[in-house]
Parts: sequence; structure tokens; C-alpha cells
Amino acid sequence: MIDTKILDLAVQDLRNVLRDGLVATDIWERTAGLSLAGYNQQPVAVALFTRITTELESSLTDSNFPPLARYYLLDMEGNHTVAVVNHGALLQGILVDNKRANLGILISVAIPRMVEAVARAQAR
Amino acid sequence: MTARSVSWTDAASVAQLLARASSPRRPAVHTFGAAGGVALARPIPQVAPALAPAAAPVAAAVPRSITVPPPARLKSQFPAPRLIQTSDNPSDCLDALLAWTLDHQRCTGAFIADDNGLTLAAHGISEAHVSLVGPLLSALVSVRMIPGIDATAGALWLGDNMMSWVETRNERGGFCLGTVGSEPLSSRAFEQLKDALEITVRRL
Repeated sequence: MIDTKILDLAVQDLRNVLRDGLVATDIWERTAGLSLAGYNQQPVAVALFTRITTELESSLTDSNFPPLARYYLLDMEGNHTVAVVNHGALLQGILVDNKRANLGILISVAIPRMVEAVARAQAR
Repeated sequence: MTARSVSWTDAASVAQLLARASSPRRPAVHTFGAAGGVALARPIPQVAPALAPAAAPVAAAVPRSITVPPPARLKSQFPAPRLIQTSDNPSDCLDALLAWTLDHQRCTGAFIADDNGLTLAAHGISEAHVSLVGPLLSALVSVRMIPGIDATAGALWLGDNMMSWVETRNERGGFCLGTVGSEPLSSRAFEQLKDALEITVRRL
């Protein structure tokens, strides 16, 4: 059981932390691909990053690499950076404008806060 | 034993040697008196102006007629007010900490970074310079293995200015508040920075 109110509050907190640097975010169930909370939600990105994450995790396993931990980052054209956060049964994509959002705050403040909040939501 | 050797049981020879070694002493040598007899046998160096503070106990006994005008008060000489964070927003807290540091400490730039050297907020210093905090703090982990060594604050000469920093940790990791300026911060300023950083990190 997942408390979606906590997820909504966590998304609001993410918007406050990253301010106008946050372009979009989604939190979704990785099996169903169902988005549970978000801001400027992107259904296509949900499908895309579910597939990329699954491929990445299986590739790491097949290569005897350590498994994916909390997140991975993609640096994309147009000053865009995507962080895909691994919440276990849930995944989250965070798209930021890296000219407006500080990557230090994203990695050291926003993602740890989000990991804790989603863990609380999943514990309900 | 030859005639040129000095026997430590020959009191006359030892006394003669000591007298010869210590005869050209000048008054300044009294400053080194507490260092023991070894210092007496050393040639006395010319007292350079830079060494003047070391001779302060001797100089203090003599009233000086020269009065040095007090330097203009700089911002770090004012007692800095304790940082009060009024927002729950981490970004606001980091901005407030940076502004407080720039307002109340003697520096030309300031930054907040995580223990990997990633910049959280900065003013007056490049992210490339801030990134050196990562290896610096990593190196200090082994220094802290030495019992009694805190090593959560320090200063590093960058080549053209001095970076002073303090570090604190919460459950999410380590955070560093640093300044750059022409000289290292005072120990009082370090305490103020550490207090301000701890107040802020609790809200991140």
C-alpha cells in the first residue's frame, strides 16, 4: 500500500527545493507503469525510463557489476539533466534544467529527501 | 683519549667550551633561555623584524613611546549575530547561510559544498575551486583516525588566496562551508561558521 498523499507532498517539496530548475517529475510503479504523483507529468518518459532502467539493471547483473543503488543521471542536450531514482517497486524521473537547478542540491539534498519521503509512503 | 678530545668528566674543559660558546650572547638570547642549554650553544641569529613578536616578553618590560594606530575595524571584528534560519526550504536555508557568511566574515567569496565537492551554493569562487573540497575531506578521514584530532576545520593556501572551511555531517552525509580571502579566518570565526553550518544542515 502506498500513501499517495505523502508522494504529493514529496513532489511539492521537490518543487520548493529545485525551484524553477525542476522541469518535470513522475513517480510510478515500475511493473504497471502507473504514475502515482508528479509535476508536468510525462507518460512517454515513464515508459522510456522503465525500459531503460530494466535494461540497465539486467546488464549490470549479467556483467557481474554491483546493482543499481539510489539513482543514475543522464546529461542531455539543451541543458537538460535527468535523474532516475530507484525507490524499489517505484521509479522516479526528475528532469531539471541544469542551468537553473544546482546539481549539488539535486544530488545531496533533493534526492536524499525524496528517497526518504517515498520510503515513508511505501511503509504505510 | 687524545689531547684534542673533550672529556665529559673534565669539568675545566667543559666550562671553557661553554664559556666560549656562550660569550657573544646578546640580551635577546634570554628569550631562548627556557629552551635549555642546547640553544645556548647555537649561533645567535640576527633578529629580523618578522621575529619581533617572539621577543614580546622582553619588549613588554620596557615602556614604548611609539603608539601604533589601531587598524580600521573590519567586518569580522564585529561580533557576528548567530544565524537564524526562518525557512524550512533547504534552498532558502543555503542562500541565507551564504549571505550571512559573506556579510559577517572577512572574505571575498564563500561556498557550501557536499563532501564530494559538489557545489550547493557559491559566490565569488569557481566551482572548480570548490570541487577540491572532495579530495580534501576524503584525505582528512584518515587524519581523523589519529586519536584527539578533530580536523573538521582548516585553511588551505590556494596560491593567490586562502580558503578556510568547516565541515559538519548529518545522516545524509558531510557538508562543508568555506570562505576565500587573503588570510585564514580566526578561530572565533571558525566557531561561528561551524555553528551556522550545523544550524543549516539540520534543515537540509
